[in-house]
Amino acid sequence: MTDELDPLIHVPTRLKIVATLAALPDGDTLSFTRLQDMIGLTPGNLIIHLRKLENADYISSEKTGNGSASRTTAALTSRGRAALDAYTQALRDLLGGL
Amino acid sequence: MNPRPDTTAAGNGGTFDPRQAAALLDQTTQQARRQLEPAQPWLLVIRAVVALAIFGAVWLNTRGQHPYQHPTAAIIPVVITFGLLNLIATVTVARRATAGLSGKSRLRPAEIAVLAAIWIGVYAAMVPMAGAGVSDSVVYGLYPVTVPLIAAGLAWAGITAVRADWRGCGVGLAVAVTGAVALSAGPAGAWAVAGVGLCVTLLGHAAVIVWQQRRSVVRP
Repeated sequence: MTDELDPLIHVPTRLKIVATLAALPDGDTLSFTRLQDMIGLTPGNLIIHLRKLENADYISSEKTGNGSASRTTAALTSRGRAALDAYTQALRDLLGGL
Repeated sequence: MNPRPDTTAAGNGGTFDPRQAAALLDQTTQQARRQLEPAQPWLLVIRAVVALAIFGAVWLNTRGQHPYQHPTAAIIPVVITFGLLNLIATVTVARRATAGLSGKSRLRPAEIAVLAAIWIGVYAAMVPMAGAGVSDSVVYGLYPVTVPLIAAGLAWAGITAVRADWRGCGVGLAVAVTGAVALSAGPAGAWAVAGVGLCVTLLGHAAVIVWQQRRSVVRP
């Protein structure tokens, strides 16, 4: 029944990450620590899921600065936004048929 | 909020059914919209009530003056205090909401400088106006109520239009229209019109934000 749903997004934690980043205004990025705070994940868990999404080019991340001043930010790519739109549409279709 | 590990049984999508996914998508989106919103609706409602109270108080203070002179000295510190409190509360809430956020939606220093110059400039212009013998009804009545609203409203509408932030653009235009309408209400009436106009604008802004935040992404 869930074959139409993108398996990369159809995981609670990654769905939360993608949905949170999709709520950002276009062209904005969110820091790793704020994203972690909003989703309520451990840093290790968040990194694992971000890496999977980044490997699929659904999100982009950027690290600036060095040492304690370093800052990592993440944003949804256009490919990631399109994937979430397709996922949302697939959910609508499934729920309409349920 | 305490970080928690991703230990759900559906961690790999196995038992994560579409209904749960739809609920989680809506819940997460709405929560993110609320947390990232720099203009919190509750603060807008408080600001609406305060604007109505302050501008209304000045209107009550000046409406019996024939000819119009100026608001009495007792009310001016109250207006300035509430203006500063409004600015501090707005900036504090916005900074908390946008912590960790960077990019196009943040105001650039040049844009902040333009807005600050407008606010300072329009009030600084009152000094030479008074010195040049312009009537009290303009210097202490129509001008300080209407011109800042028109100038700041139009500047805000312009800045937000460039960013394609149509909600912000609408708010800026509504503020400018409030100032323009107040121009026709006379020096005392301008305070009342501005108070009601700002109150309606702020309440409308709060209502739009709440509607946008609660909108479902799965069931449009």
